[in-house]
Amino acid sequence: MAYKIAVGSSDGKNVDLKFGEVETFLIYEVTDQINLIEKRDVPANDQKTQNEKLNTENNCENNNCKSSGCSGNGGGCGGAEGVLAIVSLIEDCRCVVCKKVGFQAQKQFEKKAISVFDVEVSIEEALAKITYYYDKIDNHKTLRS
Amino acid sequence: MAKLLDKQRYKCALGAMQSVQAITRALPILHSGPGCAQKLSESIGSSGYFSPNIFPCTSINEKDVVFGGVKKLNSTIENALKVVDADLYVVLTGCIPEIVGDDSGEVVSRFEDADKPVIYAPTAGFKGNNYKGHEQVVDAIVDQYLKKSETKQKGLVNIWADVPYQDLFWLGNLRELEKLVSELGLTPNTIFGYKRGIENINKIPEAEFNLLVSPWVGLNNMKKMERKLGIPYLHYKTLPIGATETSKFLREVGKFAGVEEEKVEAVIKEHEDYYYYLIERYADLFLENRVINKQFTVVSDAQYALGITKFLANDLGLVPAKQFVVDDTPKNRREEITEEFKKLNFGLEAEVSFETDGFKIHEEIKNHDYHGYPLILGGYYEKEVTEQLKGNFLNVSYPVQDKVVLNSSYVGYAGGIRLIEDIYTVAVQRFN
Repeated sequence: MAYKIAVGSSDGKNVDLKFGEVETFLIYEVTDQINLIEKRDVPANDQKTQNEKLNTENNCENNNCKSSGCSGNGGGCGGAEGVLAIVSLIEDCRCVVCKKVGFQAQKQFEKKAISVFDVEVSIEEALAKITYYYDKIDNHKTLRS
Repeated sequence: MAKLLDKQRYKCALGAMQSVQAITRALPILHSGPGCAQKLSESIGSSGYFSPNIFPCTSINEKDVVFGGVKKLNSTIENALKVVDADLYVVLTGCIPEIVGDDSGEVVSRFEDADKPVIYAPTAGFKGNNYKGHEQVVDAIVDQYLKKSETKQKGLVNIWADVPYQDLFWLGNLRELEKLVSELGLTPNTIFGYKRGIENINKIPEAEFNLLVSPWVGLNNMKKMERKLGIPYLHYKTLPIGATETSKFLREVGKFAGVEEEKVEAVIKEHEDYYYYLIERYADLFLENRVINKQFTVVSDAQYALGITKFLANDLGLVPAKQFVVDDTPKNRREEITEEFKKLNFGLEAEVSFETDGFKIHEEIKNHDYHGYPLILGGYYEKEVTEQLKGNFLNVSYPVQDKVVLNSSYVGYAGGIRLIEDIYTVAVQRFN
């Protein structure tokens, strides 16, 4: 069965972006083969909100201190809404691959049963390993090597 | 076809973390999913300097299944060495890393030069139960830590018995075995429990021989030590409970160690005199109660099934019904253990069944004619079925849920007396 994988990459070769840094997700579709089918832009304001949340100082300079977040002016813990928009953007994917994925985002993906792989490898290696894994579990084959 | 294990009586091989825990100041490092230690640690008596709640664990998840968990293992070992003060670090692998092919041995070998020894035992659940896991831990110590000793310490004997924590009486049993052996003028060495630990492990290669008191658990370790460390072994299959078996045990150990016969007999006589004095005082009670329990059944691992069957037949003169060994004994050991059940006094023989399915065991118990109320010694699972049959029940083996055992023991002369006390405490309650 076909499924999609969202990858955060700046050069199309390596998984080198943190989840919050991604401006454009590379969407790969896995069928018999793996194809890059789409480049999905993160809407600018979501991107902005996310970046603000990542950066506390910036957040405060913009007088944005109490906009959201569990601790009022924390910013570090940006609350759920910040990431929710981006999570929804790629909710048709089976998993997401980024250099790092924060706790809030991981939780939101978990709720949608989307797997998170935060690894720093080449896209080629990541896709090869992930598709191998899904192929095994989808077909009830052992992972025993 | 997939089979359901009804009434589970052992854990997966990773349960060997309890064997590591039983070695004072030895720390298990788990390469497993989160929750393994939690699930395996329900046994009582496992808090202390290290308890399962603080065992370092890689807590591997889906990412590590796909991309490998060796990096996490490396950092977990590295940090455990930094923050946990232990004498020996034992990396234990669960199912997941072994299935996906993490080379844990290679990671552990990177720590060869660490200040403290780090060793590795593969204990994936699919490799067997915690009896096997226990063997893996001892194997790891022998293979990766111990070296052959040129010098031997005269009279030094390593004693090995069944699995700590799995056997609730493990501590008391080991101490009693030590005591008996030392009365023969030998010096016992064990690695589990209070004031034992790395120093005792270091002494293992200097021993004159290994003494294994178990029907099968640990036999592979004895063979390995014989090959690698040049230590011969005496395999005593029956856990000595009560006078008959303990005297036999002392004679056999004495003979193997070359202890003078008079000395052995003197030790035996002193113990037996006191033992039979105690029994004599209660002879009337025993006679009365034989009317109640003519036949008995033991449902437990091989060590108690064999030890208690011999004790009840030889010392108390009860008649064995069918006995059940529930520890998933390896098939190649079953025949010799079955033979042991036939070596009872008074020309008695006990039938034994190696069965892990609790339902089948209970059906057989219900369908057997005990010629009166049965006496059942087993795990807590047997309590209900014994109650249905209006029998007498004593919880002696895993799972033990109706008693607290700190250091008592069923081994030796004193252990036999203890078991009589426990059985007849249950029996006399019928009258009250």
